[in-house]
Amino acid sequence: MVASDRSAIILRARGSLELRCLLDGTDGSHVQKAVSRAFERVRARVTSQALVFRVRDSPMFIWPNKGCQVTEGIAETTACKDLQQRLRSGEPDGGKRSSKKKDKRNGDTSVINIDLLMELTEPGREAGPTLTRREVRHHLAQMALPVDCVVTAGMDDGIGDAFSRLVGALCSQLTDMESAVLRHISGTSLLVPQPFHFHLPEPTGLVTLVYPTGVPDAQLESFRKEMHVRFALPEDRPYLRRANAYHFPGEPFKDGYLRNPHLALSHPALEDAKPFLVQGVYSYHHYMQDRMDDSGWGCAYRSLQTICSWFQQQGYTERVVPSHKEIQQALVDVGDKPSSFVGSRQWIGSIEVQAVLDQLLGITSRILFVSQGSELVNQGRELASHFQREGTPIMIGGGVLAHTILGVLWSETTGDIRFLILDPHYTGGEDLQLVTDKGWCGWKGMDFWDQRAYYNLCLPQRPRAI
Amino acid sequence: MGRGYIVEALVEQYLVNLQTVHASCISGILIGQCSSQRDYVVLAAQTPQKDCGAVRGCSLGDLDADWVTEHGRQVSRMLPGGLSVLGVFLITSPDLSKEAQNTLRKLVYAMEKLISMGRLWNLTEEDVSERVGLHICSKTKKAVCRTFDVRDPKSSARPADWKYQSGVSDSWPVLKCSVDLDLYFPLSETSSENLENSVKIGLQKWAKQMESSVCLINGKHSDSDAELLTGLRKNAKGHHPNFRVQIMLPMQRSSAAAEACGGSLTLAGVLQCRAYLHSHKLKARQAAEAIKRDIMNTLSSRTEMFFEDLLINEGDGGKGIQPLPQRVFAPLPGTSLSLCDYMFPDEGAAEVGERFKEMLDFDIPEEQIDMTQEVITGKFLWHHIFLYYYYDTLLYFSRYLMLGHDVVEVLHLDFGRWPVVSGTLPSLNLPRTTNELACTHPFLSRAVIALHFTLLVTTRF
Repeated sequence: MVASDRSAIILRARGSLELRCLLDGTDGSHVQKAVSRAFERVRARVTSQALVFRVRDSPMFIWPNKGCQVTEGIAETTACKDLQQRLRSGEPDGGKRSSKKKDKRNGDTSVINIDLLMELTEPGREAGPTLTRREVRHHLAQMALPVDCVVTAGMDDGIGDAFSRLVGALCSQLTDMESAVLRHISGTSLLVPQPFHFHLPEPTGLVTLVYPTGVPDAQLESFRKEMHVRFALPEDRPYLRRANAYHFPGEPFKDGYLRNPHLALSHPALEDAKPFLVQGVYSYHHYMQDRMDDSGWGCAYRSLQTICSWFQQQGYTERVVPSHKEIQQALVDVGDKPSSFVGSRQWIGSIEVQAVLDQLLGITSRILFVSQGSELVNQGRELASHFQREGTPIMIGGGVLAHTILGVLWSETTGDIRFLILDPHYTGGEDLQLVTDKGWCGWKGMDFWDQRAYYNLCLPQRPRAI
Repeated sequence: MGRGYIVEALVEQYLVNLQTVHASCISGILIGQCSSQRDYVVLAAQTPQKDCGAVRGCSLGDLDADWVTEHGRQVSRMLPGGLSVLGVFLITSPDLSKEAQNTLRKLVYAMEKLISMGRLWNLTEEDVSERVGLHICSKTKKAVCRTFDVRDPKSSARPADWKYQSGVSDSWPVLKCSVDLDLYFPLSETSSENLENSVKIGLQKWAKQMESSVCLINGKHSDSDAELLTGLRKNAKGHHPNFRVQIMLPMQRSSAAAEACGGSLTLAGVLQCRAYLHSHKLKARQAAEAIKRDIMNTLSSRTEMFFEDLLINEGDGGKGIQPLPQRVFAPLPGTSLSLCDYMFPDEGAAEVGERFKEMLDFDIPEEQIDMTQEVITGKFLWHHIFLYYYYDTLLYFSRYLMLGHDVVEVLHLDFGRWPVVSGTLPSLNLPRTTNELACTHPFLSRAVIALHFTLLVTTRF
């Protein structure tokens, strides 16, 4: 548990430590003892002199339990920011540009990634090589513990201190893993404990919890309740589900979609106006993605996908973002469309979006109707309060187009309003620069809407659950 | 353009001496180091006699190819990293010169095949695949040198240059390191029958890890093509400073598994490893490869020898802890290199000396054999006479003490019927005095009453 402040550095160490439990008996106490002993051994390795930290993308190797480093110019008392500087200066030119954008989005926090290695050439003992044979029947339970721990250090902190704290974090994570494994033992089968980092509201900051693989979030609710109480988190929205895990800046997303492109934009200047934006993380879904050519008919489907991605990434559902076919099938299943609908290129509207959200994700939505586009100017209060209360993206369909509203800039006094729009009609690649420059994600005024057409808005409601 | 062979002058001397012997047909092997441009030969050794007193055969037909190649295989175990068996030589009378070429070809290919069979690593594209066949006519003293590409059995021999030079290996840098080993192989119910196979499979997995390990030489990662000596300067004596080798394993992602085992094998301890490089201009990557190969070789040689020994002595694989043969080094006369050998617990310097004489045909005085590089921990306890209760389970206990292993698990498994011993004894790397033992273990102090001083050490200690 570490506090994070704006000008801090995160040190993240990752590795895979082998755990080997030799179970001579299969009764509970035997197994417990064997597991504890196995973890003892792993902890001993981590605190031994053979542990090596390798700073990713650099030639630096550090022995945290010995205090010696490899690269010249680095010593225990070197400040963290100097270490960061050396890493940055080693970046190729291509990296500099994107790192600037990252910094803009995430403040001054940046991450130093470290890999764990074990040195073989510094034996802690003097013993000739031997072959030992045991003929006792036993059960072997073996796994690689995916350690992943984090400490936050101030810019001026010495790295020697930061690294020894990291070793301490490793040990306490191993202890957490031990309790997770022991809690979920059944017979001789052990579940692999997996660490997740969560970025909780200030002043708590970054927190790491260990969950057993294979146990779904639903079964861990009581544990999460305890944690919610411990960290004083509100009881009505998820913070500690696996999907809520903190995504470290600089780590690529496995699926390749852009996340929250609106964060790269700056607000337009509007007198006396306040922004009311979507809360949390969503992925940008648009035409031509996933090798699906839905140009001309799929805009509402894409907006729906963006909304589904929001619910998945905030932890309200474990269901992955549905494909066009799955969306169409859901509508057939609820009886809204005939079975010939599946595989067709027919449009859908906000009512269908509401139906699919309910069918596939169990999410209820409110429908807002405006008879003319020009009346959207009066919906400021309604939309602002939606973003404040629910924080979910809104799908708006009207005329022949569908869009996603990610927020409004609204002045209570003047009634002036701007809309933050995510446009699903974009057909290019996942290029943040292009998307923001050309306004595919951008702030629009009232002139964006067709003043005569009628519009339906689908406002998804956030379930009150953890 | 053929390859060039730079040969140590002492080898010339040796070959000349061989030619003065009556026998008309002498075979042997050539040892040295390959490099991309040329190879360096530092030692020649004739094939040992099969049985004492027999007269050497006069015709090539009498030559036992299997014997010659077996000699090559055993010698390759005695070579530290960087050095290898480069080929075969034959000294024959003039009338056999033509036939000798055929024989050389057969021998070179057979030897390479035999030696590479036992290896845990394979030759890469970058490795030199030419091996040499040298023929010397006993009458004219003329030497004909040809190379064979072991990757292409159908290729024809290419002529090569054979040149003598003194001090070939004089300034060869050496890499040394101690490698800690802790390998665990579970044995299934069925595989506990065939120990050797299980060990082989386990070692192959370990070798893959070793090949992908991170190697630092003097603090710099060796995955680059940078020269070894970048940034280093000779010290006052004109010698290059020692190289510091550090090897680390990145953590491996293995899948979780739970299995029932009939037993287990553990290979543990510290290996002393060494590799010679022919030039400071070698790339760091090649240097790392040389030392890694030595690490793999030394472990596979030892386990091979251990099982061979078991077979000869009809052992049952033993239970509990068995020491693997210890690596000892001996300097090669006239050079700055050392070769190595493996000594079983019941052997001494005399046996090692005999083997050097038989295999490599040179005499080495016993005191020059360096047995201090590796340690059998028992030596620490040589001077510490400890008491133990003459119980068969205690026999295990004391042997484990001697070999310096953490006794925790042994106690748990083997002393099930010893009710008092349910705690853990701390790791016994440091010698224990009898007092210490008595204090940490009240039961033992009572057992002191029935004392019996015995040394489980062997005479060589």
